[in-house]
Amino acid sequence: MALIKLEDVSKLYGFGDATTLALDEVSLSIDKGEFVAVMGPSGCGKSTLLNVMGLLDKPTHGTYKLNNRLVDRLSQNRAAKLRRDTIGFIFQSYNLLPRLTVLENVALPLAYKGVGVTKRLKTASSMLERVGMQNREYFYPYQLSGGQIQCAAIARALVNEPSIIIADEPTGNLDSMGSRLVMELLSEIHKMGNTVIFVTHNPELTRYATRVVYMHDGMVIQDEKTSLGEVAKTAKKRLYTIPKKSVEDDLAGVSLLMKLPKKEEGIDASSKKRRKRRGRS
Amino acid sequence: MSWRTGHIHTAIVTMRVNRWRSILTMFGIIVGVASVIIIIGISQGVKANITNQVNVYSKNVITVTSKAASLSSFGVSSVPAVSTLTNQDVKSIGKIKGVKYTVPMVILSGITSGDKNYKDGVVIATNAYLPKVLNQSLAFGSFFSATDTNQFSAVLGYNAAQGLFNEQIPLGFSLNWRGEQFIVDGVLNNFKVTPFSNNTIYNHAIFISTKAADQMKLDSNNSIFQILVRVNNAKQLTTVDKEISNVLQQNHGGQDNFSVLMPSQVAKNNTGILNLLAELTIGIAIISLFVGGVGIMNVMLVSVTERMHEIGIRKAIGASNRQIMSQFIIEATSVSVAGGIIGIILALIVDGLLNLSTSLTPTINWQIIVISAVVSMLIGIVFGSVPAIRAAGKEPIEALRNE
Ligand SMILES: Nc1ncnc2c1ncn2[C@@H]1O[C@H](COP(=O)(O)OP(=O)(O)OP(=O)(O)O)[C@@H](O)[C@H]1O
Ligand SMILES: [Mg+2]
Repeated sequence: MALIKLEDVSKLYGFGDATTLALDEVSLSIDKGEFVAVMGPSGCGKSTLLNVMGLLDKPTHGTYKLNNRLVDRLSQNRAAKLRRDTIGFIFQSYNLLPRLTVLENVALPLAYKGVGVTKRLKTASSMLERVGMQNREYFYPYQLSGGQIQCAAIARALVNEPSIIIADEPTGNLDSMGSRLVMELLSEIHKMGNTVIFVTHNPELTRYATRVVYMHDGMVIQDEKTSLGEVAKTAKKRLYTIPKKSVEDDLAGVSLLMKLPKKEEGIDASSKKRRKRRGRS
Repeated sequence: MSWRTGHIHTAIVTMRVNRWRSILTMFGIIVGVASVIIIIGISQGVKANITNQVNVYSKNVITVTSKAASLSSFGVSSVPAVSTLTNQDVKSIGKIKGVKYTVPMVILSGITSGDKNYKDGVVIATNAYLPKVLNQSLAFGSFFSATDTNQFSAVLGYNAAQGLFNEQIPLGFSLNWRGEQFIVDGVLNNFKVTPFSNNTIYNHAIFISTKAADQMKLDSNNSIFQILVRVNNAKQLTTVDKEISNVLQQNHGGQDNFSVLMPSQVAKNNTGILNLLAELTIGIAIISLFVGGVGIMNVMLVSVTERMHEIGIRKAIGASNRQIMSQFIIEATSVSVAGGIIGIILALIVDGLLNLSTSLTPTINWQIIVISAVVSMLIGIVFGSVPAIRAAGKEPIEALRNE
């Protein structure tokens, strides 16, 4: 049974001539325990897809079943509750609250759950220990490096013990060291049985994933299962313009623990017949 | 609920970060709360004083005034020249059963001079029973008696003695008034002065006997501004009060041109103007509180816009609309309650200073202080709710897009 099940989900922005079709009848199901990388060129709808899956945004058309429950038309408050209890978010720009300490930031989701102050600080503290930040509890975000902030943000995403982690370019602002730190953490979370969905532009990071979903123009154009530790075949072929930031980006995620794949086997996505667009605009 | 603790913490952090903005926002509340407490304190203090003095100086005393003369509570200068009370009234009242002393108070014009001219002085012709009616003793000398042969003697109010003579104890000294010489027989003790009471006039008075005035052929009939009537005991106050009204009604041919005031009414009359002032000031203070509330609303709306991204983050990690709303209402309430507390402290300081440096003795009314605190809290809740609802209603993804 699929944990996340999207059926013909479309998302339209704007109206009239300015309408953008950010998601174009996407059907996708993700099982519990998958580690999904979402890839694709800029503007193809990756963030939109993650926002819909994370209940931050509602689809314009189509149905979304989370845990077999229809959630595409939830009220704000029900969505908030479901988000709080089942989904943890990690953002590219970290999004810690600048005026709270790391510990208070991590404890915040528990506060919204109604956990008492002593207990939530204790839980937050042990969560920070798990991400290796135990001696930075009373630091403010501006006193930390990007990698450290993202680790704290991961602790915050985990503190409510959500079953799904949604990370939109979690390594986008990080150097190779930071990226590795974050990805190792995510794969640890994955190993504990959580479902992780993340967006990346870096094909190297598909080594961590068990499945890679490729998007283009609001559509899923390829869906590939990969084995852990190997760069996804399609990603390697660079069918898409992958924005290359620096040498470090290429090195990012190249864990010493992981071996390079021996041979390359290309699947040319462009040779596949693309589904006819049936935009309803 | 325990998450509220977090909101108060956030509210305090926000106030600390935007310290100046918060203080300026509180300003209307501070001014409103402080002025309400100060004004009510002053007016209650003054009222308490007046009531005390009525108890001291006018115990068991019924005051009869001419209707036209009732404005005299404004002070010496505005005593009207024409009164409706007559010598016949004085006589008639004297005959009523239960009346112990009847004392006419006749105001006469003309400058008095002793060692110096005394411009603030007012000459009051009265009879020997005045000190007994007013419960007032003499500092020096004695009051003229009913059987006095020397009718041209004067008794001075405390300030009048200082205003007329260089001597500390001017007993036996003479003063001139309208071409006649008066010998000072005595000086009254100082009447405790409160704003809006009649006692001021007594301290500035030169008391002469009505007999002397008669001898000078002065028409006292049109100048009796008050008749003070002392009854034997408090139980008789009501019956005597009624009887005086009846008698005067007859004397005046049914005209209602006089008033008969019980001791309690005297105090009330004197504080009427004070009440009016207090009500006006409280009206202005309420406007100030309202303006303060609108100020809080305005600042909170700006704050909500500025912090849209923060709202988005909070929603993404599971805050419900209600929780976002309470956060902003608590923030607005913290600002208004802080303003209220500062206003209360300011009022207490001002009350203390007034107590030390003026004759006012503002009372500290705990009920008013508690009400002020509650009202400032309500202001925060009421005026904070509009921005809070706006903050809560945002779609999380839209809020997150605001950087
Ligand atoms: N609020 C919005 N209003 C209008 N159009 C939007 C809005 N948000 C996104 N879009 C459009 O939807 C499309 C998909 O955007 P999305 O952010 O999902 O892309 P993305 O794949 O995450 O890109 P990137 O890799 O640059 O983050 C884009 O064409 C974008 O212009
Ligand atoms: Mg994106």
